[in-house]
Amino acid sequence: MPISRRAFLGGAAGTAVAGGGAWAALLRDSLEAAAPTGRPSPATTLAPVTTTTTALAEAVASSSARLPVTDRVLVVLEMDGGNDALNTLVPAVGRYHDARPEIGLSDGQLITLAGAEYGLHPALADLTPFWEVGTMSAIAGVAMPQQSRSHFTAKDAWWSGVGGAPSQTGWLGRWLDLSLDAERNGVDDPLRAIALGGGSPALVGVQTTATAIRDPAAFTLATGPGVDEGGLVEAFLATASALNAEPTLAAAQQAIPGTLDAVALLAAAAGSDNLSAYENPTPGAGRTAVDLLSTAANIIAMGIGTRVLTVGVRGFDTHADQVENHQALLHDLASGLTSFFTALEASGDLDRVMVITTSEFGRQIVENGSAGTDHGKGGLQFVFGPSVAGGIVHGGYDLGALDDGGVPPAVDTRSVYRSALEWLGGPGGADGVFEEDPAVLELLTA
Amino acid sequence: MQFNSTREQVAFLARRATWGLAPGELDVLESLGVAATIERLVDPASAGLAEEASAWADWNFAYDRSDRKARRQQDMEAFERWMGRLLSTERPLDHQLAWFWHDHFAVSMQVVRHLPAMLAHLDLCWSLGRGDVRALIRQVTTDAAMLVFLDGATSKGTAPNENFGRELLELYTVGVGNFTEADVKAAAAALTGWVVRRRDGWKVRFVPARHDDTPQTLLGVDGVHDADTTIAAATSSPACPVFLASKLGRYLLGDIDDATVLALAATFANADLDISALARATLDAGVGGAATPTVLAPLPWLLQAIKATGARVSTAELADPLRSMGQLPGNPPNVGGYPGAATWLASSATAARFSAAINVARATPDEAPALAAAQAGDWSGLADLFMRPAGFSDATITALEDLKPSVSARPGEGALALALASPDLLIA
Repeated sequence: MPISRRAFLGGAAGTAVAGGGAWAALLRDSLEAAAPTGRPSPATTLAPVTTTTTALAEAVASSSARLPVTDRVLVVLEMDGGNDALNTLVPAVGRYHDARPEIGLSDGQLITLAGAEYGLHPALADLTPFWEVGTMSAIAGVAMPQQSRSHFTAKDAWWSGVGGAPSQTGWLGRWLDLSLDAERNGVDDPLRAIALGGGSPALVGVQTTATAIRDPAAFTLATGPGVDEGGLVEAFLATASALNAEPTLAAAQQAIPGTLDAVALLAAAAGSDNLSAYENPTPGAGRTAVDLLSTAANIIAMGIGTRVLTVGVRGFDTHADQVENHQALLHDLASGLTSFFTALEASGDLDRVMVITTSEFGRQIVENGSAGTDHGKGGLQFVFGPSVAGGIVHGGYDLGALDDGGVPPAVDTRSVYRSALEWLGGPGGADGVFEEDPAVLELLTA
Repeated sequence: MQFNSTREQVAFLARRATWGLAPGELDVLESLGVAATIERLVDPASAGLAEEASAWADWNFAYDRSDRKARRQQDMEAFERWMGRLLSTERPLDHQLAWFWHDHFAVSMQVVRHLPAMLAHLDLCWSLGRGDVRALIRQVTTDAAMLVFLDGATSKGTAPNENFGRELLELYTVGVGNFTEADVKAAAAALTGWVVRRRDGWKVRFVPARHDDTPQTLLGVDGVHDADTTIAAATSSPACPVFLASKLGRYLLGDIDDATVLALAATFANADLDISALARATLDAGVGGAATPTVLAPLPWLLQAIKATGARVSTAELADPLRSMGQLPGNPPNVGGYPGAATWLASSATAARFSAAINVARATPDEAPALAAAQAGDWSGLADLFMRPAGFSDATITALEDLKPSVSARPGEGALALALASPDLLIA
């Protein structure tokens, strides 16, 4: 059985800045309990593992939504840099081929998608069973209002879900805030939202905090010889015990309890079998989609109440030498997702999870002189999960009406966000998250 | 931030504009006074401090891309020399400004992958980082590392690459909202034609056949057609001094208000975009009360800890925590530069800071005043060694008092580690 957060932390609420040693003592116990031998073996509860991607995709499709809504987990996979939509979900038309003599994919290279006028980049071949079974769909020409070509302005807008103006909160942070009373009686829990691969401003809320872990493989407390780790951890926690009136110092204090909590969690997750990053704890090696999604699967399987995970993968700003780089990035993505769903099936958590991908913009259709592509406009999102109305390309690329060389926006990103939140939180799950309700996109099965 | 004494003011300057102080140095600055301390930082020659040679000036090494082992050693030596200079320099603001420009241009070794070109770029940030900002930006524009980093080296007239042109406007000179897409295309066209001869020692050459010399209009300036006219147009925009004053002001002072930014920008513009004049005005504003508390980035946090304790850490013990905290020098994560406070307070950085603090305490020599203060329970003396003459917060003092001496085998080491890891030393 998956260990619960409460059992894991011995009933302590690792939330508010707790004073004194009791909390720390519990934490210390949990650090010990987190050793691999102290954790129930996941092998005892595994469902039969299917061996092919097709069977896996079918398993995703057949899992039902019978579990309580509050068991659901939304995973947002952020492809940092502006993924080249047109070379990911490819419009096999003359205009595309004309614009990309060097880096374009020929019709023969593409993976044909049943029922769609597009083909997938060959590095995504492992994803086609999900498409065929109907647990994957795509949104093409997707953008925020006033979609920017600046990485930073565009990412701010995609993270905030607020069009045209700066925002202090993220779309997921607002959902975490709005659901806090109903789901947690108003008590913040930093493990409810976890960012892997670096922090995501999408998770920034007012009443809620999230945990950000840059590189799970390097996320440990290493005290070394000659000191009592438990004693120092307890004292470190005590430096956060009475919040200072000065807000910057208070923020530094507040970071400490959640960190110690998360270190214990990740140490426990490392005890799982398929966390490859821990076998070779080379700093930086744990930041591929494969490794980060593996950590994500372990966190989900632990059943500690995490509702939202973001996974940040870098490198999609392919201005030059795109062919090889993009191939490697997409291959990592497809491998990561396939292993992720395999792990979730093994732990019996497949029907709890929905994945959406994001990227701050698409790229221009015409390749530049560096065998790469420059910043464009409308981009691409993929959606995976048992409740997804699969095998559909929403929106599309209108290559006849280019917007300054980019794909014109066809779908508002916030419609995708809305669907995701209505799945995550149940009907009405997106209420109050956006300034006004985004248009409905038929992304989910009824 | 308001200050109650000269000691607090010079300690503030030391926290923001140096790489830390060794024991006793705060006393020296206090006796100099605030004005002389600022002058010594901004114009070290006036204090009789000689110009330094580049940190790699006396280092001749054969660079061979195919020799991976040698390259790794050379990367390490470069890092050692860089950190060694930051810890030993008598001209710390020169290197604060060099670091600021390294962060500003955000050229990453991960992309450039050629150590001599990277070191030459860092030398530009250091040697030109205190003078006329136009000269700095102009030189960086056709510097080999930058040409490779933002693809200028592959941008040709028939198919310009917009990467550098966009970031020149958005990140290096005028900022979002002060340029159009047409300006991006104009800059990209005017900057075509520069190549890096990789097989010839990464020499930079201008190839007229690859250049689009058509006169462009950039930010309202007509006749822009090459690198010189592009940089002249971008830096003559009234948005440029505001953008750069805002960025340096926030780097040194924290979250300053718009009125302070505009005053600094006016000083900068009146000084003909002289960076030292901007730095002097910024530090003046800071000791005058314009600064706000800020979260120290990992590099200054770690170097301040090492300076104050005299800890003898290995190169790996310097590099590993910086990597884990997300600020390995020479490797900004993206063209936006190193991230900010939210990242330095994230769980990853907090855990790595705790581990690094213990390591620094372990590497602190027995005779270090910081270890003696920690052992004696002299918390105000310990805080003063760390440039916090106002002392630690109540919570940290309580935690230090409650710490059992048995927490470390060597007396005082546990308390020193806790002080180093405390939230107090993360805030400048």
